[in-house]
Amino acid sequence: MPDNWTFVAAAYTIAALAFGTYWRWLNRKEREINALRGRHDTGRTTAGRDTARRDAAVRDDRSTAVRNDQDPAVRSDRTSRSRQPSMPGHPRPEPGSNPSIQQ
Amino acid sequence: MSTALGWLAAAGLAAGLGMGFGVAPREVTQGNVQRIMYLHVPAVWVAYLAFAAGLVASIVYLARRRPAADRLAHAACEVGTLFLGVNIATGAIWGKPTWGTWWTWDARLTSVAVVFVMFVAYLLLRQAIEDRERAARYAAVLGIVAALNIPLVHFSVYWWRTLHQPPSLLKPGSSTMPPVILAALLVNFAALALLGAYFIARRTRVLAAEEEALA
Amino acid sequence: MAWKDLLVERRSKETLNALLFFSLALLFVFQFALGPDRERLGAVLPGLLWLGFILSGVLGLGRAFLVERENDCWEGLLLTPGDKSAIYLGKLAGSLALMLVVEALVLALFVVFFNVDLGPALPGLALVIVLGTIGVAAVGTLFAAMTAQVRARELLFPVLLLPVLVPVLLGTVKVTEALLLREPLADVAHWLKLLVAADVVYLAIGLLTFDVILEG
Repeated sequence: MPDNWTFVAAAYTIAALAFGTYWRWLNRKEREINALRGRHDTGRTTAGRDTARRDAAVRDDRSTAVRNDQDPAVRSDRTSRSRQPSMPGHPRPEPGSNPSIQQ
Repeated sequence: MSTALGWLAAAGLAAGLGMGFGVAPREVTQGNVQRIMYLHVPAVWVAYLAFAAGLVASIVYLARRRPAADRLAHAACEVGTLFLGVNIATGAIWGKPTWGTWWTWDARLTSVAVVFVMFVAYLLLRQAIEDRERAARYAAVLGIVAALNIPLVHFSVYWWRTLHQPPSLLKPGSSTMPPVILAALLVNFAALALLGAYFIARRTRVLAAEEEALA
Repeated sequence: MAWKDLLVERRSKETLNALLFFSLALLFVFQFALGPDRERLGAVLPGLLWLGFILSGVLGLGRAFLVERENDCWEGLLLTPGDKSAIYLGKLAGSLALMLVVEALVLALFVVFFNVDLGPALPGLALVIVLGTIGVAAVGTLFAAMTAQVRARELLFPVLLLPVLVPVLLGTVKVTEALLLREPLADVAHWLKLLVAADVVYLAIGLLTFDVILEG
């Protein structure tokens, strides 16, 4: 049987592309969030926070639900669009359950 | 931690490639195209491990409502779907030269395709619900249904396909496997498992950061 | 309260009629698609039958929470005191009844239009139809509640439901096929066991998690 190296190459290339794209997507998400957090921190008065929220809400109205955000400041659909969250905050606040985020 | 995992994964992938192409011999019946197996088979194992993790995380979330559990469930199911997609794609590419067709409704491909669609639906549900907390609850329920459905899918499709049906000759990963090939398979499995763990770790971190940025 | 019940009953009749005519339309399409080839038709009959059942089921179940949604009663559901799984069972029973009625009528239509001789297969057929429909309704009611408040629910609901129902579809078709070929039920016992197992799993999950869905 012939070796069909082209198929082997195709398979490994597709896998590399899939994993690589996911990895780059993760990187981009982290960059966006750090940029956003930077912007939040500089405007860390209550006014600044409200403006940031309002801006985010305004941008939401123009955003689509597509995963690949072009505009780094556009939030995903889980945002302040939920007018009546079923519970305050997320989730039920438990005492002392602050998850450690950065590693 | 995820950086360490990342480097381990990279090392593992190098080792896996070395085993798959360097150490493992040219297969007798299929030729070198069989080397796709070292990618294709571990991918589905990692995917199913990820879905199992998602199942546990979903149950924990419903029981304890810990946001970390929800993030883990989300990340695990997402990464599992990714690996399953790679499995399907590499399976089709492997199938073309060996079976002469990109797709065939044999037991394994079909059940994997069904599981894939189930978890794509999971991701769609998460996207469709705007309220974070509700999305977490609903996704947890769906994650449990989907994961527990996996064995049912497998049995039903397997019975559908193999009773009254001759088993396919070129079954990937046949039971009598030379130890060298098994070793290469296991090394690649470890490599992909590390990669999967790395992705899950980073994805949960991104989810946590998103939540914090929104607060 | 009485108004709601009246509304529900009228809605069920509407749904029943709609589902019946949908099945009839399907029947016609099957006939046209498969042409006059009797043999081919005979071979695919079990699949067609269950395709009809499941498609009507998806339609019917998708409307399971329509009343609550359209009349802004969703909060009413959320605020119901006590065990919410009673709501699940209630909705499930309602959908089940509706689906079984439609299926019985569709079966009759199949017998007439495709000249099928049911004969001794009927009790076995009844069993597998009940088992299969329970599975569809159990998952369907749960998913219908989940997608009730989602914007893209008409699309999302079948996308969620159909892959999950693959085992049920396979099992029911295989048993129906065996029954129509007059094979003994014992030959397909493993399929029946799978259907029972699936039903148990889906019902258990539904009962255990419906509360969670109705939290908000």
